[in-house]
Amino acid sequence: MIESLNKAFCALPGVGSKTAQRFVYHLLERNRDGGFELAKALVDAMEHVQHCHSCRTLSEKTLCNICANTVRDDTQLCVVETPADIHAIEQSGAYKGKYFVLSGYLSPIDGIGASELGLDELEQKLQDKKVDEIILATNATVEGEVTAHYISNMAKQFDVQITRIAHGIPIGGELEYADINTIAHALSGRKNYD
Amino acid sequence: MAKVDLTPAFLIHRRTFKDTSLLLDFLTLEHGRIRLVGRGLRNSKTQIQVFQHLKISYSGKGDLKSLTNWEADDTPRQLKGDNLILGMYVNELISRLLHDQDPHFELFEIYKSFVENLATINPLSSHWLLRLFEHNLLQELGYGVDFSQDITGEPIDLSAGYDYQHQGGFVRSVAGKILGKSINQLLINDINNMPDMQQLKVCRDLNRMRLKPLLGDKPLQSRSLFFSK
Repeated sequence: MIESLNKAFCALPGVGSKTAQRFVYHLLERNRDGGFELAKALVDAMEHVQHCHSCRTLSEKTLCNICANTVRDDTQLCVVETPADIHAIEQSGAYKGKYFVLSGYLSPIDGIGASELGLDELEQKLQDKKVDEIILATNATVEGEVTAHYISNMAKQFDVQITRIAHGIPIGGELEYADINTIAHALSGRKNYD
Repeated sequence: MAKVDLTPAFLIHRRTFKDTSLLLDFLTLEHGRIRLVGRGLRNSKTQIQVFQHLKISYSGKGDLKSLTNWEADDTPRQLKGDNLILGMYVNELISRLLHDQDPHFELFEIYKSFVENLATINPLSSHWLLRLFEHNLLQELGYGVDFSQDITGEPIDLSAGYDYQHQGGFVRSVAGKILGKSINQLLINDINNMPDMQQLKVCRDLNRMRLKPLLGDKPLQSRSLFFSK
């Protein structure tokens, strides 16, 4: 039993058998209540958390809170790679539209092509003609850029404005310490000062 | 080989490894394709980029060595749109066709000039640039055939038609789709001497035929990235 718990903890990222052993002894010797709580929370989450039917983020309901919120702008759709990206954008408080989670990115060398990513649902959303603007918020990596390019090609057949989030110097950062690729991006994406 | 200092390299692919590290595939001048682990690089403020000429240092005893230092030896390069996909296609070819730690000095220079040209070339010529790269890659890997003469030893007739026989060469044929002129243009290897659109497609099909036996049944994923609807 102890051994199987140890193995189970190893399912967590960054946790090897040594760390898992520490977790096991801590819960068994010092915090049984915490252990029960963890077990219950885990079972609840594993049984009930699913993908939102509209944006595919993780949610305990058929529609996540953001998709179910009628105050939010239906005409803007922000495409992100992972549910964690939604969390990051939500924390900024700068966006009031809806989301779509890709759950990955195009990466040919890893065997992830267009069909593996399943962009049909996104295409269906664009076909429904509710969206006026699609915001491509994939990562500023080569794979993120290729994914954005592919989606923009797909979206061109619909009457929708396609935008990409800007890349540049971090707020509070100094130019001298920014890397040259970021500076090149920041310069090419400069805008009128107002 | 315990330690390598500042060797010229291009990053071909990166994937996350454990929490904060990256697994990095490089094409290096002196040691061919190698895989290194970049410890803690995922959280680094300055990210290591593909399509950029780098100098890398690494060390280690086992199969998986560690990147100890890197610097960019190049100006920033932003590949966009279809050219970015062409770049990824070439990286996929490199990672599928090259063996680990098998040096190809010529190929490194071919890749370097491909990447440099790709960033500045007009979209029409970019496909010809790709065909020349595929051709040079195949010749360099030892899968080349003679482009100056046909299978019988006769010089290629610029106005005749030819068929391609795998690993044998070109066979003169009245119905042959490959024009002698295009075979010659691949041989001359000049980016400014480009075939017309129809022959460019013939060159594409020719290179696909040449690559197919090497790639096996698993298709190249980057081909699916060209959106067609």
